[in-house]
Amino acid sequence: MASAQAEVTLARSGARTDETAVAVPRQSRRRRLETGLFVLPAVLFQLCWGWYPLIAAFLLSFTNARVRSPIAFTGLDSYLRMWHDPLAIQAFRVTALYAGLTILLTFVVPIIVAILLMEMPRHAIRWMMLLWFIPLSVLASTLVFRYMYNTQYGIFQWVATEILHLPPQPFLNSASQVNFWIVFPGLLFFGPGLIYIATLQGIPRSYYEAAEIEGASFWRKVWTISIPRLRPVISMLLIFSIIGSAQAFELQQIMTDGGPGGASRTVVLYLYTLLQDLRFADATVLGVYLFLGVMAIVAIYRLLVNDDPDAPTRRRWFGLSRPSGTPVHDAGAASATGTADGAQRREQPGV
Amino acid sequence: MAILCLGVFLHLVPIYIVVITSLKSSAEVLHFPPTWFPREPTLAAWRLAVDLNYRDNPVALRLLDRPMYVFFLNSAFIATMTLVIGIPITSFAAYANSKLQRGAIARWSFIFFIGTLMMPTALTLIPSYLLTRNWPFALPQAPLIPGSDMAFPSVRIWDTPWAVILPTAFSAFNFLLFKGFFDTIPDSIIQAARVDGGSEFNIFRRIVLPLSIPVYAVAVWTLFASSWDEFLWPLIVLQSPEKIPMSAEIWLLLDKFLGAGTTNAGAAAAQAKQMQQVMSAGLSWNGLMVLAVLQSLPIFIVFVLAREYLLKGIQIRGLK
Repeated sequence: MASAQAEVTLARSGARTDETAVAVPRQSRRRRLETGLFVLPAVLFQLCWGWYPLIAAFLLSFTNARVRSPIAFTGLDSYLRMWHDPLAIQAFRVTALYAGLTILLTFVVPIIVAILLMEMPRHAIRWMMLLWFIPLSVLASTLVFRYMYNTQYGIFQWVATEILHLPPQPFLNSASQVNFWIVFPGLLFFGPGLIYIATLQGIPRSYYEAAEIEGASFWRKVWTISIPRLRPVISMLLIFSIIGSAQAFELQQIMTDGGPGGASRTVVLYLYTLLQDLRFADATVLGVYLFLGVMAIVAIYRLLVNDDPDAPTRRRWFGLSRPSGTPVHDAGAASATGTADGAQRREQPGV
Repeated sequence: MAILCLGVFLHLVPIYIVVITSLKSSAEVLHFPPTWFPREPTLAAWRLAVDLNYRDNPVALRLLDRPMYVFFLNSAFIATMTLVIGIPITSFAAYANSKLQRGAIARWSFIFFIGTLMMPTALTLIPSYLLTRNWPFALPQAPLIPGSDMAFPSVRIWDTPWAVILPTAFSAFNFLLFKGFFDTIPDSIIQAARVDGGSEFNIFRRIVLPLSIPVYAVAVWTLFASSWDEFLWPLIVLQSPEKIPMSAEIWLLLDKFLGAGTTNAGAAAAQAKQMQQVMSAGLSWNGLMVLAVLQSLPIFIVFVLAREYLLKGIQIRGLK
């Protein structure tokens, strides 16, 4: 079979084992055909709806993208126009503000809560998880928040005036505060992160017990065991958060529809407006700018934080070389990505 | 600990508010200070929701173009088809990438599949929209065959549910989920099965599939929830009012009811009129809350089902 062939090839050529492959054996034709069939539908879908629109977007941004009259190549016209567009500049500022607020206020809490949650006894964890994750549709919960934020009869207004005895607050109607209030429900109604819980479940108890024997306090245990283990997951989720909050749309659309005078109009919201105005080329250019901005931030982040365990495994793990397909010891229920690999390997120097 | 209990309690507050608001009368909903328990609980809002299902009910005619169940069925169709098409495709590809492909091909196809995760979906909004109009050309109009007057043949899936289903079927996030899980299945199990013979598909079906029930449960639930809640993309690609899903319909109702800020007087006047129309039809926050409940109910049901399979699967594997 294939693996026997591989071993023979290895022994004969004395090849160095690359991280990912066992000397890439020549698979039987039947195997390759079946592999091809497995991936074919996904390849077609991804090609058609994933990459093709992306490339088309870049190409489209250099034209004037009219719907009725023939399309004409306009070069960088749209790019220049959108660069100087005050509404676009405002949209980017709003998006940056919103992304900053979201990550500052709502990124760290789920980590802490997940760590605290795992300290509880088993049955407590189970019912807490059930209650915490009762799903309300995103649309529905945003609707509720809109209701609660109403300045005449909303609950938040009641808390402000009756309980805190402040003057009536404008909440979502204030241009300066609106972005904070959009982020606020995420902070107030906090919950543990599911991925953190899954990763924490994979840490063997023995580590904690060993630390306890050494006389480590609770926070020291967290700092030296849990956090290093979580670092790859945190890193990955931070990137996803940045990308996700840069594309914020639904929250703003439902809560304020761009806010008082565009104070909460994020880039995607503005893009949608351009779409409705049939300014397709401008909208696509805006999307390109957003993409470039996000990529720049992610690139800077990757440069600053040199912690990259979930990149396609090209690196050689000195002293730890093994193919990526081999089993790692139990990584807990459904760890979302292969970063469990990185987490397992990273914890050696950390502890 | 105390913080955790506080968190759970706070988390349940919005749910509580949704339920009690749906039971309040129209007047009480606007009452300040807001009451934590309805003073005169009434089923008026729920009755309104039921009324919305009837074709010739005057209220329904003023608010919606079609009875509510039409939109619900649209949502159901779209979500089901997305699951039926998307989950097998994504999981097969993830399995192949994790277990069947080796070496450079595996690396490149991995990037191929999740590369689009990094790109903002806003970027592909317009080309995808154009693609649904003239597939396979992402142009406003199909180009002409050179030397003649005819345009290239193109397929238009715009204004059909397939325009919503097909682009969202393959989910890069689910791909990551599946791949991460399949990576944890020891190769030895698969090798042993290969020795016994049989096609790769059979191996997948007989051995890997029963082990993966929890992951399938999570993936099904995430895909269903995101598909059910989606309202931006359906609003873009669906034009006929009777085809839009329920999430988009709720959003349209909310928009009519609240009439968010505009910058010109004409639109503001039109919105005020719409708001009057909606209020006179009896829809207020209580009605919207009922719709919110109806919107959340399928997600909740699927969540419960998924949890069943999640727990059952974990038992099979003998974990925890």
